[in-house]
Amino acid sequence: MPRTQKVNRRQFLKGSIGAATAFTIVPRRVLGGPDNTPPSETFGGALIGCGGRGNGTFNAMGLEAKKLAICDVKFVGRADDKTIYTDFRRVLERKDIDVVAIATPPHWHALISIAAMEAGKDVLCEKPMTRFIAEGRAVAEAEKRYNRIFQVGTFGRFGRSRNPGSILIHKIMASGLLKDCRGVHIKSGGLKVKQWSGMVNAKPQPIPKSLDWDMYCGPAPLRPYHRHRFGGTHRGYWDYEGGGLADMGQHHFDPVQWVYAKDDTSPVEIEAYAPPAHPEACGMWGWVELKYADGMTFVMDSREWPVPEQPAYDRQRAREVSLSDLSAEDQKRIREMPDPEPLVSFAEAVKTRKRTGGNADVANRSATLLHLANIAIRTGRKLRYDPVKEQIIGDEEANRLVNPPMRAPWHL
Amino acid sequence: MRASRQTLSAERIGIMREQASAVAELINRLPDPDDRGLLSNIDKNIVDEVTATLHEGGRDSLTALVDMLVESGDGGDVKPRYALHCLAVYVCKLNSEQQRRAFGKALASQLERDRPKAVQKYLIEQLQVAGGKEAVPVLGRMLLDEDLCESAAQALVAIGEGTAEQLQSALPKVEGKSRLTIIQNLGVVRDAGSASVLKEALGDKDRESRLAAGWALANMGDAGSVDLLLKAAGDSAGYERIKATKACLLLAERLLAAGRKDLAVRIYQHLRDTRKGTDEDYVCDAADKGLVAAGAR
Repeated sequence: MPRTQKVNRRQFLKGSIGAATAFTIVPRRVLGGPDNTPPSETFGGALIGCGGRGNGTFNAMGLEAKKLAICDVKFVGRADDKTIYTDFRRVLERKDIDVVAIATPPHWHALISIAAMEAGKDVLCEKPMTRFIAEGRAVAEAEKRYNRIFQVGTFGRFGRSRNPGSILIHKIMASGLLKDCRGVHIKSGGLKVKQWSGMVNAKPQPIPKSLDWDMYCGPAPLRPYHRHRFGGTHRGYWDYEGGGLADMGQHHFDPVQWVYAKDDTSPVEIEAYAPPAHPEACGMWGWVELKYADGMTFVMDSREWPVPEQPAYDRQRAREVSLSDLSAEDQKRIREMPDPEPLVSFAEAVKTRKRTGGNADVANRSATLLHLANIAIRTGRKLRYDPVKEQIIGDEEANRLVNPPMRAPWHL
Repeated sequence: MRASRQTLSAERIGIMREQASAVAELINRLPDPDDRGLLSNIDKNIVDEVTATLHEGGRDSLTALVDMLVESGDGGDVKPRYALHCLAVYVCKLNSEQQRRAFGKALASQLERDRPKAVQKYLIEQLQVAGGKEAVPVLGRMLLDEDLCESAAQALVAIGEGTAEQLQSALPKVEGKSRLTIIQNLGVVRDAGSASVLKEALGDKDRESRLAAGWALANMGDAGSVDLLLKAAGDSAGYERIKATKACLLLAERLLAAGRKDLAVRIYQHLRDTRKGTDEDYVCDAADKGLVAAGAR
């Protein structure tokens, strides 16, 4: 018998949460017996989005979760609305599901994450968390409003946060002692720019019978079907993601954002070098500079355009932040500072109700980095950004890409 | 006199043909997709030059470009589509409201000509990029076309100014998906003047319209909707209950921000008192948190 029929996990957690230590004090064997998982540690799980990243995302939760439901828009004709679904809303109605792994294309990430938290579920969502900037704030608000656990499905920051060199830089940056930051962090290549570009001449194809194309498009514009818009290559279209920059950029810059203590802010100046972008297909670009208010600069150097063999970016050289940037007295202060608290994993957070290391606020900031870079590419303009209001300053048309309208009935 | 007019017209047609031919020749300089269909071999300088030249050609160039657009899937308009978008982005870069407005006006005027729906939709998408209040009346008329309503509403919302009036005016004249689209977007623009019609929509037969109306009233922080939204949430089940409850919490937040603590507390207290089941205790907790934020606990 599934544990959810005997003991409601939420009830169990609610009763125990006042003393989160209960989970560490009470031995597994006492609650669950020698060969059984205790009720506090077995979860009803669902996987929404069953493509290439599906099972990996579900397993990344790191919990003993029984997969009670799988859901994908490509299950038309297979769905029984008991264990196999095409509509995530039916999954979220189930009371026996505690945790949801979301591995759809990114244009669905925010909406399903929000809906899942509104339904009382904890969420692990594939990266990038959002398709555009305003979605990030909405996910973070839902996380707080419902006190749910959220973790974005990229884990590089966990490793970096245990690295002594990264910890030192983090402490220098977080201390506020560095008054004139001259740090420049450059990511050269590896952003799969061409690989995750979109087709500009795709002719409509018949929609496969097993696919609910309207639901696939969801909040994005309803375009004619083409297989390149689906199944991994969706990354090449603004409607669903943001090219290799949004995809691979998250892997690289999310940990870097932690290292340089930028989890609670965003760049204030963004400039890109790129040819005019196509309206639907993500394409080529050369470099993007993103500068924070303290002077710290991140650079994305594609090395794929204008020509692959010739690195295009030569405006700045990489420069690491170090203790020697500080006075002797401030260096001493840094050495005396305690290390930051270890980041909390999704599994631990679900049990203790602490916030995860990749919560919605930090995931919003790392996704915003990528979105700002793409907006600079798409508008061809140097942008100034207000990290508090989360708006581009003095550029009404660029702001239209910060919070584009969604197709009804979907909205934030 | 008549002969003179005919002569002028023939001359004009000739000029237009020449213009169209020149535009076709010009945009032919834009890159061709590679064998995968990608613009991987793109030359920024050429695209910039073509775009600037198109812009110099003014309204006639724009018209010629739009005339090259065809129904999606017919092929052959990859370059004009790209060129038109480049032009839309370009006029925003000029830092000249006059030039942006001239583009918006010229493009909006093309919408009312007899063109395939897919082409009209594409023009609307470009107005979403670069259009302003000069395009609002035309886009408002497009709300009445069920094939174009969604795109028109999105462009209007992006433009902002004057949008609420267009949505309000269109609402009684449309039905089905268009009605849902307009209800939702009235919520996006937080149009307080639509509260009464949205309250009526709370009783709609269509579930999505009910939910959109509830969310719209919450998002605009309508003080007169407290009891209606609480009732809607209390009476519903499944996904609708989840979303209707979210509307209540959102309304409470909006009211609290607007200084209507009394009403916000009423919402939070009601949810706290009625969501006692273990499967909804997280709602109870959220209401508790709201009460603390309101200083009522």
